[in-house]
Amino acid sequence: MTLHEAALTVDQPRASLAAGSDVMRLGFMPLIDCAPLIVADELGLFTRHGVTVSLTPLNAWVALRDRIAIGKLDGGQMLCPMPIAAGLGLGGVASALAVVSVLASQGNAITLSEALIAELDLPQGATADPSNIAASLARAVRARAAAGRPKLVLAVVYAYSSHNYLLRHFLAAAGIDPEHDVILRAVPPPQIADELAEGRIDGFCAGQPWGSRAVDLRCGRIALATADIWPNHPEKLLAISSATLARDPDRVTAVVAATIEAGHFLADPANHAQVALWLHERALPQVPLAVVRAALSTTLRRAPDEAPALFASPNFDPALSCPSPTHGAWWLRQMRRWGHAPQGTDDIIGQIWRPDIWQRAARLAPPANRLSPSIPTQLPCPGDLA
Amino acid sequence: MTLRVLIVDANLERAEAVASGLTADGCLVVGTVPDHADIIALVRSSGADVIVCDLDHASRDAIDAMRALHQDEPRPVVMFVDRTDPGSTEAAMAAGVAAYVVEGLHPGRVRAVIDVAVARFTAHQALRAELAEVRSALNERKLVERAKGLLMQTRRMTEEDAYRALRRLAMDQGKRLADVAESVIAMEKLLKL
Repeated sequence: MTLHEAALTVDQPRASLAAGSDVMRLGFMPLIDCAPLIVADELGLFTRHGVTVSLTPLNAWVALRDRIAIGKLDGGQMLCPMPIAAGLGLGGVASALAVVSVLASQGNAITLSEALIAELDLPQGATADPSNIAASLARAVRARAAAGRPKLVLAVVYAYSSHNYLLRHFLAAAGIDPEHDVILRAVPPPQIADELAEGRIDGFCAGQPWGSRAVDLRCGRIALATADIWPNHPEKLLAISSATLARDPDRVTAVVAATIEAGHFLADPANHAQVALWLHERALPQVPLAVVRAALSTTLRRAPDEAPALFASPNFDPALSCPSPTHGAWWLRQMRRWGHAPQGTDDIIGQIWRPDIWQRAARLAPPANRLSPSIPTQLPCPGDLA
Repeated sequence: MTLRVLIVDANLERAEAVASGLTADGCLVVGTVPDHADIIALVRSSGADVIVCDLDHASRDAIDAMRALHQDEPRPVVMFVDRTDPGSTEAAMAAGVAAYVVEGLHPGRVRAVIDVAVARFTAHQALRAELAEVRSALNERKLVERAKGLLMQTRRMTEEDAYRALRRLAMDQGKRLADVAESVIAMEKLLKL
């Protein structure tokens, strides 16, 4: 969809839902991959599908979780493990959520300090090869232990996050025990690049633009994309409170349809200048417009003095937006693997992941937008999902 | 025992008011910070028993992650919400948020809210361990049977009434029957403490 086509359709509501109470109140975090919500709002796609949506920016994932739990929000952008954690009541707050769409896939960066990169002593020209980095990292961890030097300190943004579980998975696959061989810390994203610059951490896994920020500060190198661990892994979900979904399934479906259409708009790089402007205004005013613009593109500077290179940025392709319970089960398995979730059956995933709602929404989204309403084929996943 | 409280709030005026109220009530306020670069280190070094925090504070994810990432002793977190909203406090309690301090609440009453939060949190921690056992030992049908039995015993209900009460609660809250049964079992234990 081009901006022009989108503009043509703005004032022609296609759907009119039965008069219902309310505004759908959604929360989002100041990150590049909140874009489908912002774009759907700016293009009037929510209105076109007959639903009024209010978008609230938040500073913490748990604030989003708690606002939904106490009924101040109906849902919002969420990390994949969060609805599972909320359903299991981990962290003391229990909340029944439904995952109705994938807003964005992949796009996080694993950034290592210049000192650690030097310590890894990577073979010439192999600075971005995941298997080389894994092997070098394992050697460095063992060498530190043998010499009695401090363990490496790696940061993630939050415990129940894709960042935490993908990083752990990568470390474990390299033969590094994330519980004992390194120290994992949680650091709020806006502080994470500064922590690296000040030498309090040796590396971190976070959403963009924070990896690029570290490169700007000349303190780190983007060593890996999380897509190197799992290409096109689901990253941000749209999760809605189960109570709202039960009360108002049509409005929820309309919201999903609008975000699917927003995904088509986002998939066209010709629209990125406009998207960057909206994101800068509404989600990331503290980040320079040029940085927001760069974070949407698929090439970026991995190290201070290098030319921009390919990077697996957030993927908004609507073909990846159907929430897959198989993927949900993978996150749950990771949570069990590290002792964050109790053993048991995967039944909870079937209650939380709702591809049926997405499929209803896919039928609402205009075919002119080239939407293929099928569930995407199985994505390549890390080994232990097989 | 003196309760050690750490206050994390960008609204310093509100934080100071609560701090003086707590001090007057015999609490030891170990810190009042608008923000902190290493919030986890601060929580540890301050020896805080309880954290009073703004609901939307950017440090909350790191505090929440302390247990899962760092195997720290979990601490109750009491939260400020931006404005009084009837129903919020009840919803927060039902969801398991330790407690809520709403704006406009007299600083002198904060101590009482925190005491309730700490008591609830302690009970909740003990229950979590027990519930993990219950969950693995009993399948869902057994949970419902047990909740029914508890209701019959403590509320003098007939079996049919007990089942209907559970069913209604499940429908009202949009939860599964087994989840409601689990809450009933937890609540009965809490009341016995």
